[in-house]
Amino acid sequence: MKLNFNNRDPVYVQVIRHFKEQIATGLLEPGQEIPSRRELANQLKINPNTAQRAYKEMEEQGLIYTERNLPSRITKDEKVLSIVREELILQAVNSFVSSVQSINVPLEEVIELVRANYEQASEEVRGQDDRN
Amino acid sequence: MIEIKDVKKNFGRKKVLKGVSFTAEKGEITCLIGINGVGKTTILNAITALTPIQSGEILIDGEKLHKGSYEKIMFIPDAITMLPSMRIADAMEFMNDFYDCWNEARAKELLQFFKLKESDRISDLSKGNTAKVNLLLGLALDVDYLLMDEPFSGIDIFSREQIADVFTSHLIEERGVIITTHEINDIEHLIDKVVLIDEGVVLKEFRTEEIRENEGKSVVDVMREVYQK
Repeated sequence: MKLNFNNRDPVYVQVIRHFKEQIATGLLEPGQEIPSRRELANQLKINPNTAQRAYKEMEEQGLIYTERNLPSRITKDEKVLSIVREELILQAVNSFVSSVQSINVPLEEVIELVRANYEQASEEVRGQDDRN
Repeated sequence: MIEIKDVKKNFGRKKVLKGVSFTAEKGEITCLIGINGVGKTTILNAITALTPIQSGEILIDGEKLHKGSYEKIMFIPDAITMLPSMRIADAMEFMNDFYDCWNEARAKELLQFFKLKESDRISDLSKGNTAKVNLLLGLALDVDYLLMDEPFSGIDIFSREQIADVFTSHLIEERGVIITTHEINDIEHLIDKVVLIDEGVVLKEFRTEEIRENEGKSVVDVMREVYQK
């Protein structure tokens, strides 16, 4: 796991975003154990204090939970999980819309392109799955 | 915590430190940045009393430097001070004889971490591996504070990465680290605090996550503002 951090956003914010993406894509499953703070710092090559900060924030947002001295885990709370998913979808759509808007494309044309592109991409994914 | 308070230092008539003040916390990595020849090494030397200061005060955990301070704090110079004919094992033994706080178990772990062989002679090592041995000898001591002078300077990218990995590993533990550097790119995400120095004065002292969070600036952005004004 190696993240490409940008230098202008707080690293802890980028770490939280990274976790949210992994949750939304299913790479991290509800109830799954996550690395210790020190392990995370080592994996992502970040300051251990920053890893600590990211975990503290995620704990407060209910994204992860810790029982006694056991390793922290991803939440099983359906409500929180669906909020994460919505948040990421909205972010992706927002950035897509703003870049498309700047080229002045009519909405109908965009939707048609999105549909064609989406179906093609899904087929490619299916094709890859069949081959594996 | 290490507190540097209004420290002044002259070499002859030349004023090298003109009233330097900053702090470095335990459990954090503080980075002294400055274009070369601005007194970074002199500051580290002053903290360990390797060089006398004209005025000002240096406190380690609230106390002035005394004999016991040397078991608390270690200065790792930018070049190895061991004889080239020594094997790594000899250098480790030398440190063991010299310091009560030598931690053999950690030294062994560091050997593995850096993929070094005890039987290798220092004169046969690459620049990168020499730098790693130099660092190992300091890191293996059970001190609370480590002062590293240019640990990333003049070595290959893979050695730099390996050395940077130490800072995110358990080997650094809860110790306080001060490193000097004139290059920040490799380690921007690793450090807690930056002290920008020029011509013997501190131009700015800031926490990296705070400057990103509150001003949306990278460390290099701040350096540009401060140094190119």
